[in-house]
Amino acid sequence: MQKRRIQGVNNREDVVFGSNAIRLSGAEWIVVAVICLAAFFFAPSLWGQLGEIKSEPDYRLPYRLGGDYWLYSRLCRQACSQYETVLVGDSVMWGHYAPADGTLSHYLNENAVKDEFANLGVDGFHPAALWGLLKYYGRSISDKEVILHLNPLWMSGRKQDLQTEKEYRFQHQKLVPQFRPKIPCYKDSWSERVSVAIGRHVAFTGWTSHLRTAYFDNMDVPAWTMEHPYENPLGAVTLELPVADEDNPQDDRSWTERSMTKQNFQWVGLETSLQWKLFRKSVELLKARGNTVFVLVGPFNEHMFTGDSPGVYGRMKDGIESWLRQSNIPYSMPEALPSELYSDASHPLAEGYALLAKKLFENESFQSTILGER
Amino acid sequence: MYFHTLPFLIFFLIVYPTYLIVKETKLRLPFLLAASYFFYGWLNPLYLVLIAYSTALDYFVVVRMAKSRRRKSWLAVSIANNLGLLGFFKYGAFVTDNVNLLLSSLNVPYEVPSPGMLLPVGLSFYIFQSLSYTIDYYRGNVEKETSLIRYATFVALFPRLLAGPIERAKNLLPQMHKSPRICGGDIADGLSMFVVGLFKKVALADYLALYVNKVYAAPDQFQSPALILATFLFAWQIYFDFSGYTDMARGVARVMGFRLMLNFNNPYLAASLGEFWGRWHISLSTWFKDYLYIPLGGNRKGTFNTYRNMFLVMVISGLWHGAAWTFVIWGALHAIGRFFTRELERTAFYKEKVPRLVKQLLVFAFVTFAWIFFRAESIGDAWLVVTRIFGSGWADPRCPALALALIFAVWLYQYAYESKLRWVLECKPVRVGFVVAMILYLIVFAPSSDQAFIYLQF
Repeated sequence: MQKRRIQGVNNREDVVFGSNAIRLSGAEWIVVAVICLAAFFFAPSLWGQLGEIKSEPDYRLPYRLGGDYWLYSRLCRQACSQYETVLVGDSVMWGHYAPADGTLSHYLNENAVKDEFANLGVDGFHPAALWGLLKYYGRSISDKEVILHLNPLWMSGRKQDLQTEKEYRFQHQKLVPQFRPKIPCYKDSWSERVSVAIGRHVAFTGWTSHLRTAYFDNMDVPAWTMEHPYENPLGAVTLELPVADEDNPQDDRSWTERSMTKQNFQWVGLETSLQWKLFRKSVELLKARGNTVFVLVGPFNEHMFTGDSPGVYGRMKDGIESWLRQSNIPYSMPEALPSELYSDASHPLAEGYALLAKKLFENESFQSTILGER
Repeated sequence: MYFHTLPFLIFFLIVYPTYLIVKETKLRLPFLLAASYFFYGWLNPLYLVLIAYSTALDYFVVVRMAKSRRRKSWLAVSIANNLGLLGFFKYGAFVTDNVNLLLSSLNVPYEVPSPGMLLPVGLSFYIFQSLSYTIDYYRGNVEKETSLIRYATFVALFPRLLAGPIERAKNLLPQMHKSPRICGGDIADGLSMFVVGLFKKVALADYLALYVNKVYAAPDQFQSPALILATFLFAWQIYFDFSGYTDMARGVARVMGFRLMLNFNNPYLAASLGEFWGRWHISLSTWFKDYLYIPLGGNRKGTFNTYRNMFLVMVISGLWHGAAWTFVIWGALHAIGRFFTRELERTAFYKEKVPRLVKQLLVFAFVTFAWIFFRAESIGDAWLVVTRIFGSGWADPRCPALALALIFAVWLYQYAYESKLRWVLECKPVRVGFVVAMILYLIVFAPSSDQAFIYLQF
């Protein structure tokens, strides 16, 4: 045991320091601080130099890495350096149910003859989370052409619009505004929110989260070893990333073949919609970064409507269109695709994406905004 | 609020600079007391009523003792009050449950209503600390404290309030009489202690808890290897959890200029059970020795009385940990173990021929076995674990190799520390390397944890 006399209080007392040798002086603590800070600041960027994200045109963020925001920022950087136009949005842009060569970006590239569209969609990114993703991890998306998708599904009910009072654990909670605007169903403690708010600004936090998501089945290491008791955790950290389509839930059946039924969607009014509010903030954010923003709305599967849905939805679309016009945002609000080309309420099948790409190329606003300077 | 959480960090970032500003002024102790009460009241404001009452009563008792000839009576008041509080809040439900069980077995159609009280966190610790003051004053071992504020701060000092160490008045009160001189060495020492404690708690204790909780939640579904490993891991989990808390408490106190006593001294290197209790929860074991074992006669009245006193102390120590028969059995086991090892150590063969390492392993094995009763939810569960350890077959335990590797590394470190190899561990690159490794492990691999400390429930 290390013993040390107390100074100045009672010189006859000995108070034992501890039962180990881990006792550093001030100078030694400075050395520790320098080493740790160096690791803290440089490890993420050094790691980013290692390994490679595949850069073929149809590459998209692997499905199970949808929560790997640090990797997304790397993907943004790479895509923005290689492609003219990036597609940003949720699973509709990403291509849920469709293979990598059956997405909107793929068919846009086909129509364009050369590869100039990159898929930066991410599965599960509702507008509230998309705002956070663009703000904190999408900084590389600047001075580009951006096709930003608005999926009306996120305003099809109070729950989807995050307005229920009852706690609801929605996807990507760490990306939504933690304090303002208040999200009624988001009930995490203030200390957790503060941690999240701070962590978003720290590259190291994103990088450790990347390690967890990419190599440890989205678990922390202790929990991962419980599932893999005899494996070496260090051995799991390779530089390989999952192949994009390894775990994509592909399904080429239409919504009727999947026995889905029609619904009377309880659309939330635009004036109170949280998702719409944060979508507008995303548009403003992208524009502030020098991007040319083209908004693609839907097309929603209107064949599923019953009851009041068609009328209310139509009024909502008018409201969206009105704002886009007033804000001088070029846009396209294509008509609904044929019923058999939808897999559910919002996701087209591969053939649906092909048709949508063709429609976009025929759209004047798209031609002048996105294709105009080619 | 727990030391390893964000609320505590914010609390400390406010309290510490303010403390540095006021420490040379008359506001030093009032501020420290207010901060400590805020810290304690954060858990539940009602706790403050109890601690304030207990503090005020013991302070008043000593004031009266100083003026009265009936000092013993006043001491009895303090003891009765403190033990009464402990009895009511901690053991009320236990007693009524057992009385009702007895009445039911005798077919008496009456049920004593359960008090249904919430056990205030830290009660066992500050009650014992306050009681030590009144007893020490009675014995003439400590001077009367003239300031209620100073005494209240001594009882409630926030770094040690929730889970000790149980400080003695003669160690901590003098430190409060003068403004502490906080130098760079104190801050460096405090940081060292805190980081070690944080690593023990977050990286080790909470990790081991994953496997322990899984197995002990359903012991009937696991075979012998898993039960043995879970018990082995629990032995280390409780050590890392409790000693980690103490290290953090001592570290926080040190940067504030207070020296708290060492509470754990590599207990699993003990070569006898007596030595184990000299290394484990030292503040509690010395408390029981000074205030129970020695007044009962200690080892001065023959073998039978020695063992009787030892047995009583260990059983009461077990009961101190919790109001359940499992803790009583745990204490009794340790008492029996001490009898046995004491007699064994008197034999020439055991004393001279058996290598120290073998003794250490035997003691560790016994202590680990006894932990079964400490950890199990009930006597039935404990017995189930014991019988299945010895009676069920083989199955892959699926215990993380990394957990076992970490434990082995810690054990090896402690073993080297108490050997001739200590100089290696004390080399600057080794010390710095260990701290860097701990910090990087914490920030890269450790989970975000807000698991409570085990000993807070006592």
